[in-house]
Amino acid sequence: MKMTTWRKTAALAAGAAMLLGLAGLASADDTIKVGVVGPRTGSAAATGTAFEEGIALALERINAKGGVLGKKLEVVFEDTAGDPQKAASGLEKLITKDKVVMAMGESHSSAALAEIDVADRYKLPLIIAEAWHDDITKKNFKYVFRAGPSNSGVVDDAILGFIKANGFKRVAIVAENTDWGIGIKDLAEAGLKAAGVATEVFNTERKSQDHYTELNKIKNFKPDLVLAFVYGFGVHYLIAQSNEVGLVPQTALLLEGAGPPSLWPDFWKNVGDAGNLELFVSSMHKDVMLTPVAKEFQDAYVKKYGKEPADYKSRSMFNTLLIAADAINRAGSTDADKLVDALEKTDLTVCSGQVKFGTEKGSYRYHQWQPPMLIIQWQDKQQVVVYPKDAATGQLKK
Amino acid sequence: MSDLLMYLTNGVVIGIIYALSALGVSLIVGIMNVVNFAHGELYILAGYFSAIFASALGLGPIPAMVLAVAAVFVLGLLLEWTLIRPTYGDDMYSLIITFILSIILQNAYLFIFGPYPQKPPNWISGASNLFGLFFYGNQRLLCLAVAVGVIAGFFLVLHKTWFGRVVRAVSMDREVAAMLGVNPVRVNLLAFGLGCALAGAAGVILTPIFPVTPTVGVGVSLTAFVVVVLGGMGSFSGCVVGGLILGLVENLGAAYLDSGYKHLFGFVILIMVLFFRPAGLFGQKQL
Repeated sequence: MKMTTWRKTAALAAGAAMLLGLAGLASADDTIKVGVVGPRTGSAAATGTAFEEGIALALERINAKGGVLGKKLEVVFEDTAGDPQKAASGLEKLITKDKVVMAMGESHSSAALAEIDVADRYKLPLIIAEAWHDDITKKNFKYVFRAGPSNSGVVDDAILGFIKANGFKRVAIVAENTDWGIGIKDLAEAGLKAAGVATEVFNTERKSQDHYTELNKIKNFKPDLVLAFVYGFGVHYLIAQSNEVGLVPQTALLLEGAGPPSLWPDFWKNVGDAGNLELFVSSMHKDVMLTPVAKEFQDAYVKKYGKEPADYKSRSMFNTLLIAADAINRAGSTDADKLVDALEKTDLTVCSGQVKFGTEKGSYRYHQWQPPMLIIQWQDKQQVVVYPKDAATGQLKK
Repeated sequence: MSDLLMYLTNGVVIGIIYALSALGVSLIVGIMNVVNFAHGELYILAGYFSAIFASALGLGPIPAMVLAVAAVFVLGLLLEWTLIRPTYGDDMYSLIITFILSIILQNAYLFIFGPYPQKPPNWISGASNLFGLFFYGNQRLLCLAVAVGVIAGFFLVLHKTWFGRVVRAVSMDREVAAMLGVNPVRVNLLAFGLGCALAGAAGVILTPIFPVTPTVGVGVSLTAFVVVVLGGMGSFSGCVVGGLILGLVENLGAAYLDSGYKHLFGFVILIMVLFFRPAGLFGQKQL
């Protein structure tokens, strides 16, 4: 009797184990996993929400069209909080525990610079979406790509062109003390000085909520444009306070060099009237449809979320996943070297244009593709594209 | 000259705000010997409450603020009763419990309120031209006035009421106070609740200027601890002086040295004070 009970238990246990094992195998067999890294907490947690939206829409599209290699594509999203240590360990977890075949995302340069070392060490293809520091691709790592803006690209193509075209004479640069802030500030300062524009740099802390001291110094410089390289909610405080001290838009315009924070919910609640005439960099505007995919994304977004997409980083994430799925399908395998090969040969239409990665080593353009960037101004709570001229939907107001 | 006045004004405003949020920490440390790591999270909870009461219930700023502080006070009583009381006698346990509480609250806020910053409407708009020299936000000036009022009220309670005398007695010597008939359990309960309410008061006063997000509480706690250590553990006037010093040093450092390292100056001052006066500016030496 005892024996039979024991046997029954053993049989049950074995059966359960087999079922569990099968279930595990089944899920491992049916899907191909890719990882996403990005801030879901911290001062740029809103980017995590934008990424989630982009992931959801991309997965629907990719899996409706047959997935990758005949299997469903699955995404594991790891929080990095904009912190290099969390970013490195998060990516390492995706590689060793979740066994992702590729990773993508990120919007903090300091975190991305930590991630590319991990990707290089583990030989995992990594596509950075929204971390702009030049070094991310300038290091010329074989497994690292970027399908998004770089500091040099944004400064040279968008910001300097805009400043020259509109004849600004005195530019104050206020930059946060992070890899991105310091990197893009140096490029902008050098470019403006070379163009003969009077320029002065004012540093600020990424986590600081109070900017009165910096703003007072900026006011004494008497700029006609303030170039703000502050990412996250900090830039909302900066804009509101720059209005209180009588600077923006009373005597100067403000160009926000990161973009999405000017589009986040509660922007108007946080900045009040100070947001009028504010300028920001963006790769998306509802009236500027560069490709048919952009329209499809717009429609799918409105259908799913019941509102217009605001933060363009949801679209960057969407693009990046399309690029990844396309590469996996063309590689016909999940082998890292074959994926790199396929990525290098990418020629794909996404929302913001035709993706082709640079393949010549020696500069930040290696493994880099940058979407065209727009400069948009808030005019009576309407977004008006003011630069470049061929995409403009209105005139710059001062 | 106008620059210096502007930096001093801002230093005083920020300093008073630091002092207010540090008073709650100091009260709880002084009476209970508990370091409340979740102090910043209670500060932002009150901020969220004031924003929600104002927007969802349509309350004016003052009723919304009072209600938010009252809610945090009640929460403080509950926390003391359920989490802190069982840890009496072991400071390390209460430290770990409040630390865990801060992490749980941060994640709960992220889940409930979302990642975006929230703020109630400003009480007042525009800016005033101070001394005819520079513009300063009206909201900040009003916050300064309210914060000074709350701090004055706190000192009044501390020095003029029976409860204040009990608080001072317990923070001077717990055993002797107990021998003289003070019920330490009830004092602990009230002190913890009041400490949390002070965090909440700082939160509701500041949220219109610095909107709250789920994780800003970490910085609030850290600054409060720096102020408390600077002023001397358990010393209330030390808190006010410590807060003012920190606010002024940060602003003058940012103005005349480098604005990229504002918070560094505070820590340099802290290290110097600890080096020359290990018990803090107004702290008493441990026997």
